[in-house]
Parts: sequence; C-alpha cells; structure tokens
Amino acid sequence: MRISELPEIGTKYEIESPKGDRVAVIFLRTGEIELYVLEARADKPAVAKLTSEEARRLGSVLTGAMLTVEQEGVEVSFSEIADLRINIHVCPAPKAIAGKSIKDLAIRKRTGATIIAIARSGRSIISPSPETVFEAGDVLVVVGEHEQITACEREFLQ
Amino acid sequence: MNFLTDLAIISVFCLILGVASKYLRQASIPAYILAGLVFGKSGLDLITAYEFVQWLGKIGLLLLLFYIGYEFNLKGMGERGRIFAGFTDFLVNFSLAFAFGWLIGLTLLETFILAFVVYISSSAIVITSLIENKRLIYPEAETIVWLMVFEDLVVAILLAVLVSATSAASRLVILIPLDIAITVLFIVLISVFVRNQSRLLTSLFDRDDEIPILLVFALLFGFSALAYWLSSLVHVEVSELIIAFFLGSALSGVRTFKKLLGDLVTLKNFFLTIFFFSFGIMIPVTFTALPPLDFILICLALIALSLLGKFISGALIGKKLHDSFETGLRIGAYTTPRGEFSVILLAIALERDLGISDLVVSLIVGYVIILPIIGALLAKNGDWIGKAVSSSIKKVQNGAQKPR
Repeated sequence: MRISELPEIGTKYEIESPKGDRVAVIFLRTGEIELYVLEARADKPAVAKLTSEEARRLGSVLTGAMLTVEQEGVEVSFSEIADLRINIHVCPAPKAIAGKSIKDLAIRKRTGATIIAIARSGRSIISPSPETVFEAGDVLVVVGEHEQITACEREFLQ
Repeated sequence: MNFLTDLAIISVFCLILGVASKYLRQASIPAYILAGLVFGKSGLDLITAYEFVQWLGKIGLLLLLFYIGYEFNLKGMGERGRIFAGFTDFLVNFSLAFAFGWLIGLTLLETFILAFVVYISSSAIVITSLIENKRLIYPEAETIVWLMVFEDLVVAILLAVLVSATSAASRLVILIPLDIAITVLFIVLISVFVRNQSRLLTSLFDRDDEIPILLVFALLFGFSALAYWLSSLVHVEVSELIIAFFLGSALSGVRTFKKLLGDLVTLKNFFLTIFFFSFGIMIPVTFTALPPLDFILICLALIALSLLGKFISGALIGKKLHDSFETGLRIGAYTTPRGEFSVILLAIALERDLGISDLVVSLIVGYVIILPIIGALLAKNGDWIGKAVSSSIKKVQNGAQKPR
C-alpha cells in the first residue's frame, strides 16, 4: 500500500496486485471519495465517486468484518487473525425462559454459547452476570462457534 | 448605488460565462477576463466604481497566495526527482521564452515578464483537469501535482524579486538586499508568532462562530498592513502577496485551522473571479503597435514555442522519473494551460506602470486566453498524443534504419 499526499487534491492510497491491476482510493479535499480501478492493460481507469458512508460500508466488506450474514446472525472475522471467526446471533428471548436466570438455564455449560448482551426496552446489559433474570421482550446477543449457537437455539431459544 | 450595479454586472455575467465554460468543459479564467474586457474601459465602459472592483480583486489575490502557502509542503518537495522535475521545467520553458522575447527585441523587463508568463502553468486549471479527466491513479499525476507546487514556490520568489526590482528602479539598487532582508524578517516574525501563540490560535480556530474567519482576516490584513506601514517608513518594498503566502504556510501547522479551509477556498474563488474580471477591465486593447498580421504571427509563434517547451520538459521529466517518453509527453500535455499567475504578473506590472508596451500586453492577454483552450484539448487527448508522438518517433527511427 502506497500513501501519498497530493497538494490541493487530497490523499491517495494505492495498491497494486501481482497481476498488475491497480486500485486507488483518493480522499478529495472536497470530502468526496474516489475509487479508481485500473486493470493491468486497460487504457482507462473506472472511477466511482463515493460518499463517506458508502465508503465505510465498502470498507467493512473489504476488511472482512462481515463475511456472512445469515438470518439475524453475522460472522465476524478479523484481518489480523485470519483463523478467528466469531458468530454473533441476535434473537428475541422466547416466553419459556422469562423469569429464569442464565445460571438456572446453564446455557454455557450445556451448549458452549455465551450470552454477551441483553437488549431490554430502553437499556441494554453488556456482559450480563449469571444471576441476570430474563424478562419477556428481551433481545439476546449470543456468541460462539456455529455449532454452539445452533445448539443454544435448539435448546432454549425456540 | 453605483457599486451595486457594478457588482450586479460582474456577478451576473461571470455566472453566465462561467456556466457556459464549464458546460463546454473549458477553463473559466479566460471567460472572466473576456467579460471584463467587454464591460471595461476597452469595451462598453459600464463599470463605474472601478477602484472598488480592483480592491475586491486584490483580496482574491491575497487569498490565493494564502491558499498556495497553506498547501505548500517542503517535506514532500524533497522526494525523489521532484526537485529535478521542477528545475527542468523552469530551465527549459523560462529560457526558451526569454530567448524568444530577446529575439523580437523586447526590453529586459518585458522579456523577463514574458518568460515568466510562458513558464508558469496554471495550477488551478491543471489540477481540475487531472480530477475531471480521471488521471489521479497514474504515477505521473503525482509528478504533475508536485511540479505545480514547485512552480507556485517559484511564483512567490519571482513576485518578491519583481516587486523589489521594479521599485528599486527609481532608487538605489543597493536597497534590493534590504528589501529581501525585511521580507525574511517578516517571514520569521510570522512563523515565530504562529508557533508561540499556537495554543491560542488552535482554540480560536476550533470555534463554530464567526471568530475563526475574523481571525484569518485579522492576521492576513494585519500583517500586510504592518508590512506596508513599515515599508513606507523605511522606504523598502515588502509584497503583501509574499506575506499572505508565508502566513498560509505557517497556519498549515495549526491543527484546527483545517476546519476553516473549505470556507476560505469558497471566498478565494469568489474574489479571484472578480480579480480576473477587474484585470479584463483595465487592460487596453490596442493592436496599433504592429500590423494585425504580424501580431497574430508573433502570438502563434509564442504559443507554438510554449507548447514545444512544455513537451520537451515533460519528456525529459518523464524519461528521468518514469522511464518513459510517452508518460513525459502526457506530462507536457497536462501542464500546457497557463492562467492565473500569468495574469497576476501582468496585472502587477501594469499597476506599477513599468512601461510595458501595448504589444506585450496584448500578446500576453491573447496568450492567456488561447492557451487554456488548447490546454483543455490536450489534456483530454493526453493519452492519444503521447502514443501518437512516440509511435511516430519509432516509425522515424525504423525508417532511418531501413536503408542500411
């Protein structure tokens, strides 16, 4: 990756693939972002103008932050640690578990999945303690490997 | 009410011509000059508050130099080949035009001004056309941008020299070093001030009200007025344009100043448009010095020469930096348009009444109106020209080898 300052224009980030294809991202002084793609032997580059919002979305796709989106779940992987993939699943708490605590259900013991957050009307609980009692209308955020989440869904969340 | 009528004429007609030139994908600077010509002294003579219009234009000049100073970056300039590119561009184009001026029998000062006008490309036009023609991914775009930065620095230096040299003409030549010394003193003063007060400036520029813009103008006008006042006191010349340049450069070190830049660029664009218009108002259009045919021939010769110059320097730079003449020819094509600086220089020379002959004035005006148009065409077809020229060179080489 080559970064260069272009006075009166902006900043240019440029990368060349082994094949000779080149991609450049230019942050213009005007606030617009231009994405250049120049194929190895092409005469002219293709240029897309992006807003910062669009660029951010594109960026998160490219970094692999969101690899697969299935139903309400996402799988997150990290460019730094290629082997690590974390599935995050979001689902409403079924009526059956309302009034019971995480400890009562022994969710982690039985399935391996962990509840990392509970969204409750108006406030959210990050890293709930084992004593936390579920209420009707809670939305749960569960992390774990794919199989663990499936198991958790099967046992408690249906 | 006079000035309102004037402002109405200026803004309405610049708007119309500006839109037309953008629509035709041409640089707008020549359009604004033409508007000035039409409504000014040589044309319909409709502008009444003439001095007022000129003042507004001068604010545009100050803001332009301030902006260039802000963008100037010495560290980037030092990178591989950039200094070489800058000097090649200067030596080839300046000396070609200098020789031309000398050949057609101009005075030393006129020759100097002509050479300067021919050397200096228009950063504004060149940079806009790089973006619009989608050239930013190519390595030569970077070379071109830094070439413009180098040229801008040369502008600042040459303006200082010109201001000093022409004012010293009526005094002792010994005073020139004194001018330069005082200018340097001011530069040091500005940078020390900005550095010492950096905390105060940072917090003031961070505000969301009218304080930041007031602060910029207070600094800009304050230092310029100080320079003017000191100049008249000890009879030296310090150009306010140089002050603006170095103030911009010093403020680029203040982190929060960036927030204001967009607004300043907008103001600069507005006042600079008025400057080009006011330039159009004041130039006399007379072709009496020479028969029209001779004038047109000289003008064409000058244009041909300056195209040749940029292509030669471009080819040399391309060969050295990118190892390709073809790339170099594209650099030549892209740096062809001349504009704001050529106009500014002539405006300063005229204002100081340096005895520039009408021939030179008309020549330069014709030149800055025609070259951006040619430049726009070349920029659009830069690729094609590079390929055509290099393939025809190859053909000639092959042809030369065949008879053996």
